[in-house]
Amino acid sequence: MINFNRRFFLRIFFFSSVWFILTGVDTTSWMVGVPAVLIASGLSLMLAPPSQYQISLAGVFRFIPFFLRQSLHGGIDVMRRALSFRQLLDPGLVSYTTFLPEGSARILFANTISLLPGTLSAELHGNSVTIHTLDRGLPIWANIQGLEYHIAALMRISPEKMNNS
Amino acid sequence: MVPVKKNMDILYHSGTLLILLGLPFFLSGTVGLIRFPDIYTRLHALTKADNVGLGFVVSGLALQSGSWAVTAKLLLIWLLVLIASSASCHLIARSAMQKNIQPWTR
Amino acid sequence: MSWMHTTFALILLPAIVVGLFRILRGPTAADRMVTAQLFGTCGVAILLLLSTGMGNPVLLDIALVFALLAALTTMTFIRRTWHGSGKKKHGYSIS
Repeated sequence: MINFNRRFFLRIFFFSSVWFILTGVDTTSWMVGVPAVLIASGLSLMLAPPSQYQISLAGVFRFIPFFLRQSLHGGIDVMRRALSFRQLLDPGLVSYTTFLPEGSARILFANTISLLPGTLSAELHGNSVTIHTLDRGLPIWANIQGLEYHIAALMRISPEKMNNS
Repeated sequence: MVPVKKNMDILYHSGTLLILLGLPFFLSGTVGLIRFPDIYTRLHALTKADNVGLGFVVSGLALQSGSWAVTAKLLLIWLLVLIASSASCHLIARSAMQKNIQPWTR
Repeated sequence: MSWMHTTFALILLPAIVVGLFRILRGPTAADRMVTAQLFGTCGVAILLLLSTGMGNPVLLDIALVFALLAALTTMTFIRRTWHGSGKKKHGYSIS
């Protein structure tokens, strides 16, 4: 129960920050803001119950530069292929089995794949992700494993434990 | 007074540079949307290129604004667009797969 | 009024206008719908640039709503229009 209260306050803090960013320093806006934040926190707990995994702050700080670098690579890669005179595409489908548990970790994984260079998550079935790639010559596996590792660190999931189970 | 102004100028101009860096990404996203052969490759082009372009524009404008409130709001908008477009991209690709639309191959 | 930002916004405008060509060509409904995503990101960028260019912070909020609407449009399209009719290879799962 203590844990539950802590998570409720974390969500209140999160939604209050969003409200603050949206409305700025205008204090009268909190007449609407306080009920809105409370309702949003309650609803979010109902719709997305807290998972057993905790987000690691150190993991977030390692994830952000990784994500920015990879999506920049992805953008440059697409730009090169779109603007070149020759046809540089060699698309194909590959299947990847992830050790990430069901829920937010897997959803974050599937969504971030689409921002990595040359990969796009086309289907998610259990722990298997179908990935469409722009070029079968790209180092897709290394990129995806890197992403998987970063998300596991973000949610404090240990890869060894998940592999054995 | 003068050093402060100079500092602001540097921030402003690097912001301009970042925005200028972002524009080609938008243009190549559109070129990809027109040129690429099937729905999947077009999704690649738009999702990746436009989000990187928006990232550059957002960080450029944030540097130029010189205000933390505006910077936070710009970053929130970028984050929202990132989540929205990667989710829509996945949804469209999944529906296309379920409709048995075959990916174009070389 | 900053002419520089307005010019940047004008440079982005063709990116959307040319993208409209994809709506004409298709061939599938999804290809047309991808243009909604273009409107989402490119339109937001134009609004943000205009917000600085015209010195009007309200445009930031409009950009925020625009981003939300673009996502909702695509999701509604997938769930209501495009998903139901067609051969289903797998069961329907929320992922």
